[in-house]
Amino acid sequence: MLSYLVQRLASTLLVMTLVGIFVFLLLHLSAGDPAAIIAGDYATPQQIATIRQRLGLDDPLLVQFGRWALRVVQGDLGVSIFTSTPVSALILQRLEPTLSVAVLTMIFAVSIAVTLGVLAAWKAGRPVDRLLMGFSVLGFSMPTFVVGYCLIYVFAIELRWLPVQGYRPIMDGIGPWFLHLVLPTITLGLAYVALIARMTRASVQEVLEEDYIRTANAKGVPARTMLMKHALKNAGVPIITVIGIGVALLIGGVVITETVFNIPGIGRLVVDAISKRDYPIIQGVILVFSGVYVLINLAVDLSYSLIDPRIRH
Amino acid sequence: MRRPLALAILLAACASPAAAQSITVAVAADIRSNNPGVNRDDSTDDFALQLVEGLVGYNEGGNATPLLAQKVDLSADGKTYTFTLREGVKFHNGATLTSADVLWSWNRYMDPKTQWRCTSEFDGRSGLKVESVSAPDARTFVMTIDKPNALFLDTMARTDCAMTAILHKDSVKADGSWDKPIGTGPYKFGEWKRGEYFTMTAFDGYQSPGQGKIDGYVGSKRPLLKEVKFLVVKDAATVKAGLISGALQMSETLPSDVEELKKVPSLKVMVAPNAVRHIFLIQTKDTVMGNKNLRQAIAAALDYPELVAAASNNLGTPNNSPIYSTSGYFGEVEKQGHKYDPARAKQLLQEAGYKGEKITILANKRPTVPSFPAAVVWQQMLQAVGINAEIEVLDWATQLDRFNKGNYQMQSFSFSARFDPAIAFEQFSGPKDKQPRKVWDNPDAQALIDKSMLISDKAERQKIFDELHRRVIDEVPLIFLYNGLDAVAMSKAISGFQPWQSKLRMWEVTLAQ
Repeated sequence: MLSYLVQRLASTLLVMTLVGIFVFLLLHLSAGDPAAIIAGDYATPQQIATIRQRLGLDDPLLVQFGRWALRVVQGDLGVSIFTSTPVSALILQRLEPTLSVAVLTMIFAVSIAVTLGVLAAWKAGRPVDRLLMGFSVLGFSMPTFVVGYCLIYVFAIELRWLPVQGYRPIMDGIGPWFLHLVLPTITLGLAYVALIARMTRASVQEVLEEDYIRTANAKGVPARTMLMKHALKNAGVPIITVIGIGVALLIGGVVITETVFNIPGIGRLVVDAISKRDYPIIQGVILVFSGVYVLINLAVDLSYSLIDPRIRH
Repeated sequence: MRRPLALAILLAACASPAAAQSITVAVAADIRSNNPGVNRDDSTDDFALQLVEGLVGYNEGGNATPLLAQKVDLSADGKTYTFTLREGVKFHNGATLTSADVLWSWNRYMDPKTQWRCTSEFDGRSGLKVESVSAPDARTFVMTIDKPNALFLDTMARTDCAMTAILHKDSVKADGSWDKPIGTGPYKFGEWKRGEYFTMTAFDGYQSPGQGKIDGYVGSKRPLLKEVKFLVVKDAATVKAGLISGALQMSETLPSDVEELKKVPSLKVMVAPNAVRHIFLIQTKDTVMGNKNLRQAIAAALDYPELVAAASNNLGTPNNSPIYSTSGYFGEVEKQGHKYDPARAKQLLQEAGYKGEKITILANKRPTVPSFPAAVVWQQMLQAVGINAEIEVLDWATQLDRFNKGNYQMQSFSFSARFDPAIAFEQFSGPKDKQPRKVWDNPDAQALIDKSMLISDKAERQKIFDELHRRVIDEVPLIFLYNGLDAVAMSKAISGFQPWQSKLRMWEVTLAQ
């Protein structure tokens, strides 16, 4: 187990290195000059050249990469070209809103989706199943921004039950924090509810056809016990896999949700950085995201053995 | 009502941002810094110029007029400017403005370590050089330049130079590094949460330079709001939802949203033209586009009223001049633009020997500029006379890169505001071999522009600008379409606001209780 863990962590470093190289080259070889954007349209070529020199953008690509890589190895993600703020500080500043949205979304999605999936599997082929699966197709098909704007219109503008946009730090109180996250969570979570519910239904339904379930039924085990204790636990591995994929995909969804609900999170940070070619921010955020992505996969893999003791690493 | 719902409403009410005489204004971009004229862009300048002021500032017509100065005297040889400071002007920390502060600010700006945006505008690198400065007494500041220059005060007043703002020396820390702006503006710097919001509060000790009416950066400038919070909201639909719900009290809005927002009972929308110019660029060095007849054919192929109406949601008015329509230099000659004449366009194409070569139009889809919608109409109108035009959509950073390198055939583009016509022409004129981003490479025209920068007589300057306008229309190195529009939506409870040059001036603005 330990050697497996060390091996996986080593591969995480390898993946992050490859991602780092790829992103660096992609950014620096694509068109767009941050020095020209900083200088503005009054600037002469000499002024732009001075800014490029100050930022080290006129150095050979290999030198720039070496400089950046050396810093990263020391735990320094660099400084934003536009705001002169350390990238790690910017990421930390934006971490709370993004984490809040992501965690609440997954709690919301998993709790609703697993319940609905188990219910649909139990009532497979009946109207309840068709209704739930129809809902899940709808949830999966609706673009995030459409769901977001619809929810804003109904619950924030018409009914005025919830704030229309923005974010309140948890330090300002659980109430305002939670209220500002209700609509973003539902918006982002709906697609994951659909995804996880469908996978749960399929897995649980497969288990429900096993002999031991039939035996449990014959012995008169209550439906709830049979579903939650026997069926769901044994259907856990594919469900956990989908949840893991969902968490990883969440990173993309967060960008749109943060824009629609004006949440100052990491998603918005990186989108702004891309439009301005703020290389250190883009590189730093993608590097962090790739690390998180790989670690989530590792956590999912490790959780298999907890759910199913037959799986050993 | 059920308990959770009642709780939710109560908590939402507690979370409401608006308090009496404080307003929340949505802005599309965060500020880059709070260091005026140093790490800046348009949004940063807009915020900074609510906090700080210069010796001179632009009035509503775009002319540099005294602001912290009571008057400006020019010597007979046109080289020495004597600024007499207004009496009783206070900094945000309570200190009284003196010429020593002006001298300190100037020396700081000219120190390369400051990285002021405009150092090169005054040290000779851009032609103008300030040879000496002095503060002979507490209310007098003297600047001597190397040779007469009609644009000296204008350059001092430029918004990207942050109006050459006079700062108190406590704006920097003991080690010389920047701390925060302590200026003389109507509002004081409040709080800044990067990427989220920035605020300013009323400066109770403010001395308004004028009384009565708002006049650019001069005139009456009373800070009547207790606090203004500028909330960074990127998405136009989110801004709209915020305005309708009342979470936001004001925001610039897209022309396409104007009609819809006007119908909202709680809102009003103000629209005014500004000095931004939306344009079509043509690369005269390109083998195809270098043909003047072809360029003239392109100009004749465009139905300007229809094109402008489509690109501006019926809010804009055609203007083929580099000089913006409300400028004091926009005269009868400038009103004479290109003529829509498809038959002539076809004839010119024949004369040009055009054989259907593909011509690419670069455009971007930023919602704040009409680049893409204008390009679509442009393409259609060119195709109607037989020009094989296609659109290539780029992201803004890439398009700007192509512009700076001169790497394009045609572009749907926008030029930022320039008040003085000489600078408006200089913006796109110059030698392409030295500055590839320049659009119009005509030495004779450049000589005229240089001349207009030296003379102060308005009539003489007008003659030069008229001549330059005629040449631009004839040579068609680019086509000016119409001026930018400031569309600002706000709560009906707000009064006193006037849109002007894309600046959200918060002085003289009040919010009804």
